[in-house]
Amino acid sequence: MLQHIIKSGIIVLILIALQLTLIPLVSIKGIIPDLVVIYVVIYAMRNGQLKGTFFGFVVGFLFDLFSGGLLGSAMFAKTLAGFVAGYFHKDDEEDIFSNSLLFASIIFISSLIDSFFYAFLGSAEVEINILSLIFTNGIFPAAFTSLIGLAYSLLVRKK
Amino acid sequence: MELFLRKLFNKLKEYIVLAVLLLISLILLPQNKNTEVKKIKSYAFATFAILTNASSSIGDIFKSSDELEEQRKRNAELMLKLNRVREYALENKKLKELLGYKEEVSSKLFPSTIVAKNFSNIQGNYIINAGISDSVYKSMPVITNDGLVGIVTDTEENFSLVRTLHNTSFRISGTIQRSNIDGIIFWDGQNLVMHNIPTTADIDKGDRVVTSVLSSILPPSIPVGLVVKKESNISGILSNVIIRPFVDVLTVKNIFVLQEVKSKQIDSLELNLLKD
Repeated sequence: MLQHIIKSGIIVLILIALQLTLIPLVSIKGIIPDLVVIYVVIYAMRNGQLKGTFFGFVVGFLFDLFSGGLLGSAMFAKTLAGFVAGYFHKDDEEDIFSNSLLFASIIFISSLIDSFFYAFLGSAEVEINILSLIFTNGIFPAAFTSLIGLAYSLLVRKK
Repeated sequence: MELFLRKLFNKLKEYIVLAVLLLISLILLPQNKNTEVKKIKSYAFATFAILTNASSSIGDIFKSSDELEEQRKRNAELMLKLNRVREYALENKKLKELLGYKEEVSSKLFPSTIVAKNFSNIQGNYIINAGISDSVYKSMPVITNDGLVGIVTDTEENFSLVRTLHNTSFRISGTIQRSNIDGIIFWDGQNLVMHNIPTTADIDKGDRVVTSVLSSILPPSIPVGLVVKKESNISGILSNVIIRPFVDVLTVKNIFVLQEVKSKQIDSLELNLLKD
């Protein structure tokens, strides 16, 4: 159990570091994929909704702390992402990646919720355009993230 | 009764946990202004920056030689411009002496590198590898050779947090250089906007926007961007001016901190614009 927590913790720290340093290098028109949310989705699908929700909460907390963002915004967003992904919990780990398109769709839904709420809670001080919130800060990053998820799933299946 | 509650909890535990965790997140949101929370956040980002500092240097490997070539070309162009500016400065100094003007204080530039980026259109932040040990303090402007990038909002021993132009909490006082019209500039999640400007104000597409003399957070005349659009609001009396920043906040890597020394009294009055 302890080994599992340490392993997940190290993976999360590495992913947050990559998210803040190397991932911005692959941006397209200011839109980047979210590696952290992909891991939250995989964790929730492996371990169930309850653990996934709590994991999303902890990961969001760490992301808020380390990125210098608004404390509470990523916590809220990633908790919801973990909860949603938990609906697709699979007992057998291999089943998670057996249907790549389904896996990518789950990532898209979770990532959409994550990006939308992260942007929404962070923009409390200004009147933000709802279309911008949905597309620029919701659908586009979620689509990019799900593409990365799809590639990862295909890679895992190939192995 | 106890059994019923236990059964109910077991049935709804996922939803109860979700509601509790979301509630904690929402309670934490307004606590961001709390001094203790700020201290924890500063300590956390500075500690983590040691890790991101290492991984960001891996990113430098991917820097293309074309980019370096472009930088060299730009340096040469800037050198030529600088020579012309020096001539103007000498001429300006002579004229000021003739008129008996006071000497202006020159600012010091401290070079720094971005070690982590929160790549968000809403909460755009950088962590840079310069901190208190380099005499970098809160509210100092961060620039590149093109113009303004952001403002230092938090400092630790060796690292600082920079609020970029792509942050909805970012607010500065700006001016249209040609017509000297002042206004507050902020990021609306998509564009840099100078808002509530009278519709009759003399503003044209392509006008340069610089930091205003009205702000003591930032020194005047730091280039911010160009006017690209003027949008009237419903009443038609006031307009919002859309500005295209000179600096592409998303691609910038090396920056300078403008080490301005300001009056503490003015600081405390003006820092209210830097809402945390």
